[in-house]
Amino acid sequence: MSQTQTQSAPEAASDKAWEPKVVAFLCNWCSYAGADLAGVSRIQYPHNIRIIRVPCSGRISPAFLLRALQNGADAVLVSGCHPGDCHYISGNLAARRKFALLKELLQYTGIEPERVQFTWVSASEGGRFAAIVEKVVEQARKLGPNKKLVKNL
Amino acid sequence: MTASHEIELRLRDTAEQLLREKKVGLFLGYEKATLPFRTTPLFLTTAEGAERLVWNPFCTANLAVYLPGLFKAPADARQAKSAPPPPTVGIVLKGCDVRSVVALIQERQVPRENLVLVGIACPGVVDRRKAERALGEHQALGAGEDARGNVHAVVDDGTEVTLRREQIVADACLECRAPTPSLHDVLLGTPVEAKETDAARRRMAEFESRPLDVRWARFQEMLAKCIRCNACRQACPMCSGCKTCLLDQTRPRWIGAGTDISDVGIYHLLRAFHLAGRCTECGACARACPMGLDVRLLARKMCQEVEDLYGYRPGEATDATPVLSAFSLDDPQDFVTEP
Repeated sequence: MSQTQTQSAPEAASDKAWEPKVVAFLCNWCSYAGADLAGVSRIQYPHNIRIIRVPCSGRISPAFLLRALQNGADAVLVSGCHPGDCHYISGNLAARRKFALLKELLQYTGIEPERVQFTWVSASEGGRFAAIVEKVVEQARKLGPNKKLVKNL
Repeated sequence: MTASHEIELRLRDTAEQLLREKKVGLFLGYEKATLPFRTTPLFLTTAEGAERLVWNPFCTANLAVYLPGLFKAPADARQAKSAPPPPTVGIVLKGCDVRSVVALIQERQVPRENLVLVGIACPGVVDRRKAERALGEHQALGAGEDARGNVHAVVDDGTEVTLRREQIVADACLECRAPTPSLHDVLLGTPVEAKETDAARRRMAEFESRPLDVRWARFQEMLAKCIRCNACRQACPMCSGCKTCLLDQTRPRWIGAGTDISDVGIYHLLRAFHLAGRCTECGACARACPMGLDVRLLARKMCQEVEDLYGYRPGEATDATPVLSAFSLDDPQDFVTEP
């Protein structure tokens, strides 16, 4: 949060000071545990990520992601169990169809595809989690601040 | 006698018979409106009123929009026992409207056994705005159809103007994939050939070939005109069945009320997503829009995507599983991010 607070300072207003904010929706059973493992194993990954734990990737409604973008997230990451490994048998399979369509819709209306990303991380893949966060943050940084869909009051 | 008039007479007979024999308690159709190029929905409960029914190229409304409300369970489950039994309803349906009813039956929003579907093979309805535009500065006082299907309008200086049918037919009808009702109990009119056209697909591909920022600018242009009246939602038969619409929820409030362009954008995105694999392309939303926006387009894109990815078309079979309720282990997933 200190990033946004210091942004008003003149020396921090340059592009270098801006850091992307990435909201990550992680499923409780695989991806959240994967993130935990990354932490326990002391694998370094960017601190730009804000994790929201959800029971299952099937719990995620497109409204969550759009709200995150509207409230100023520079990118959104959604991660669930690998197909076939869902704790609730098929939550991520049902979610996969929703995600595919949502991503296509956002891209169609002109939102960069890198702003909304979907992936699978299992509880044993701490390294993979760190690598994905790295990639998503890097892409968000390259895109710059999210201006589309953000609500300016 | 025109083909429409012939259908109209048979429609009146059918409705009269259904109501008289108490096969239906309510009959939904169209009646003459006070303005040209329009008709008004008609709710008939007695056989005497059947003479008021009309059928002409101005019967644009999708009457399926009224069905979910008629079969809604009471909000309070304790009242379910004392609630009156669900009505039996006869309804006039064009090809597109039948697709909506099929999708509603599929989602168990309306029971098939309570419906008598009077299908009409539809050669395409008139887009009121196109007709008004074709008349230029003249205002129509009355309109009718001739034997060849063209529309005659009497305008304010007393002259009669002929409008060619293909000039003023609605956009949705130009791309109609089943003008003849697939599911029906009674079918009126001679079956119409389906027009398989890839014009919409080509238009979408052309739009997609433009850079992201151009597309975003176009999207914003459309959003800037939207006044958030929610008419597109009200007119949509697939949108009328939810117990609490996402837009009406206040805890949490998903979409801010008002016309902030970000809220309007999220409204249209969520509505399009909600219609993914459900939109039956009747064009009711575009007709309802007071700002003349073609609000069909995003939902149209979603349905195209559903068809390409999962080979599913909404409103074709009452026993098919809705596409977002189904899944398969080998659904395409090339959109997934890998490290």
